[in-house]
Amino acid sequence: MLVIALSLTFACSSVGPSNKNQSAANKEYTDDVGRRISLPAHVDRVISLAPNVTEIMFAVGAGSSLVGNTTFCDFPAEAKNVEKVGDTFHPSLERIIALRPQLVLVSTASQLEGFTEQLRSHNIEVFVTDPHSLEDIFRSIAQIGELVGKQDTANTLVTKLRERTTAIENAVKPLPRVRVFYQLSAEPLYTAGRDSFVTDLIKRAGADSVTAEVPGAWPKYSAESALAAKPEAIILPTGGSMGEGNSTVAEALHNSPAAQQGRVYKINDDHLVRPGPRIVDGLEEMARALHPTAFK
Amino acid sequence: MTDTSQTVMVANAQQHRVTLKKTLSACLLLAVALLVAVLVASLLGSERLPFSSSLCSLVSLGQNQCGLSADQFDILFQIRLPRVLLAAAVGGSLAIAGASYQALLRNPLAEPYLLGVSNGAAVGTMLALVFFGRFAWSRPLMAFVGALLATLVVYRLARGKAGATPERLILSGVIVTTFLSSAIVFVTTLMDATRIRSFTFWLLGDLSGASRGLLPLTLGITFLATIALTLNARSLNLLMLGERDAFDLGVEVARVRILVFVLASLLVGSAVAASGSVGYVGLVVPHLTRLSLGSDNRISLPAAALGGALFVIVADTIARTVIAPRELPVGAITALIGAPLFIYLLKRP
Repeated sequence: MLVIALSLTFACSSVGPSNKNQSAANKEYTDDVGRRISLPAHVDRVISLAPNVTEIMFAVGAGSSLVGNTTFCDFPAEAKNVEKVGDTFHPSLERIIALRPQLVLVSTASQLEGFTEQLRSHNIEVFVTDPHSLEDIFRSIAQIGELVGKQDTANTLVTKLRERTTAIENAVKPLPRVRVFYQLSAEPLYTAGRDSFVTDLIKRAGADSVTAEVPGAWPKYSAESALAAKPEAIILPTGGSMGEGNSTVAEALHNSPAAQQGRVYKINDDHLVRPGPRIVDGLEEMARALHPTAFK
Repeated sequence: MTDTSQTVMVANAQQHRVTLKKTLSACLLLAVALLVAVLVASLLGSERLPFSSSLCSLVSLGQNQCGLSADQFDILFQIRLPRVLLAAAVGGSLAIAGASYQALLRNPLAEPYLLGVSNGAAVGTMLALVFFGRFAWSRPLMAFVGALLATLVVYRLARGKAGATPERLILSGVIVTTFLSSAIVFVTTLMDATRIRSFTFWLLGDLSGASRGLLPLTLGITFLATIALTLNARSLNLLMLGERDAFDLGVEVARVRILVFVLASLLVGSAVAASGSVGYVGLVVPHLTRLSLGSDNRISLPAAALGGALFVIVADTIARTVIAPRELPVGAITALIGAPLFIYLLKRP
């Protein structure tokens, strides 16, 4: 849906006359929703509208190019000192334009179709990342690295993250797989569906999400279906920037095998809901929780 | 005693018996329909349960497992049935609250949602969650306070020198509703990120996140307040003639008004604390019951409660099953059914 909406707005905006400087030095890129953007070779004024993107910017060594980010961007510590343009859901268009960025990085989680169009009309390019798997996350790290001229650092980072991932996957491979329910929130019950990178992470952690085939990325889920799936373990992303709101298992799941056997694992939500470099920490924490014997 | 007055008394008594009979038969019919709806809704859900065993177990009121596995039994009695009962309580509450506002304020558009009462209850619930999150009972309590305050403010604003005209009342409701909507937005900024996400759903009206702990309270309030309001139905009938006339006919207008405000706020408060703002129930259901059963509140009030329960059970069953195992908020379904139905009612000759 979002992809269609975005490509439609793009189609509309491209009909009008373009007043952009199409200098020969500009490079063309295609973002995760298929929009083509053009950027100068040297990009050093960037605004990030999502915490995962901010983390990627710092991890690839381009933190100093960030001229603005959101109040949700709290990692690494330096990210807090960057000028704030609002939160991910309500960024201030005026402040963004005043900061004269060359590029605004958006994660689809923030759903900013209309906003994107307005920025484009001010000659500010918008690049959307929309990862649905761990591979997608690695790709967006490499892509952002390329956009800001830090390919090498980004590629080294991705190689390291890949190595850690492989090590984790190898450690859990011989062990029996665990049936997992991922509880994003208890009231109402939200989980990770087919299009979520979390479903991929769970698979790599030596487990199977009982909601792996549910359409959508973050579906609201039926409590009785969750119980009927008899999950052997429940993952609760909690305790990070989402607070303690999700630190208990939904009432409906109290009689699930997972809750009965005490296999309920709290994982720092910042490592699981932010598709950035720390996602491999989340993968590792999840694998260690589900398969403690694999990491002795 | 003269002959004529005796004849009048006999006629009155006869009419009273006719009304009573009509009330009883209409309510009995609706009650049977409601019972059937509770059973059918409990048999439908995202998980398929064996039909005859489930029915047998439901009829035995959970005393007999009738061959259901422990999991299936859990799904039926811990998850599905409580939700169906909560849907009934919420629907009944909102519909009879709407019906009594409409009678008391002599305004066919008076409805908890349009009057801002639902939003008052929502603000109360959210404040309870932010400040007294650990005490579940603080939610219905603060929702009640919020609903009552919103009611009183709307009523005060609506009463001009010429009395409360229908237009003034609805305008005041709109003003209070929008004011409280901004208050809701403000309170969400006090919440952490997960809660905000949950709340956008809850504000639309959602029965899935309901705390089972509050179910007995919600059901109890619905039942008792319905009885209390029905017992005052005669006064409300007279109030439909106008407050002056009702007063002349011996109705304690002030007492009835306070009673309706307090009971309706209790009903709306407990419904909103349990399920957020489920729209259209208080508008569509009383209109339907009045159209089919007449405007005598002795019939239309209890019938609205039963009809509202039926309506929300049907709507929530659709919300639970139509894209199963994913779910929709019930408020989206009540609005989808309610809005066209209401337009039809308005357009109809």
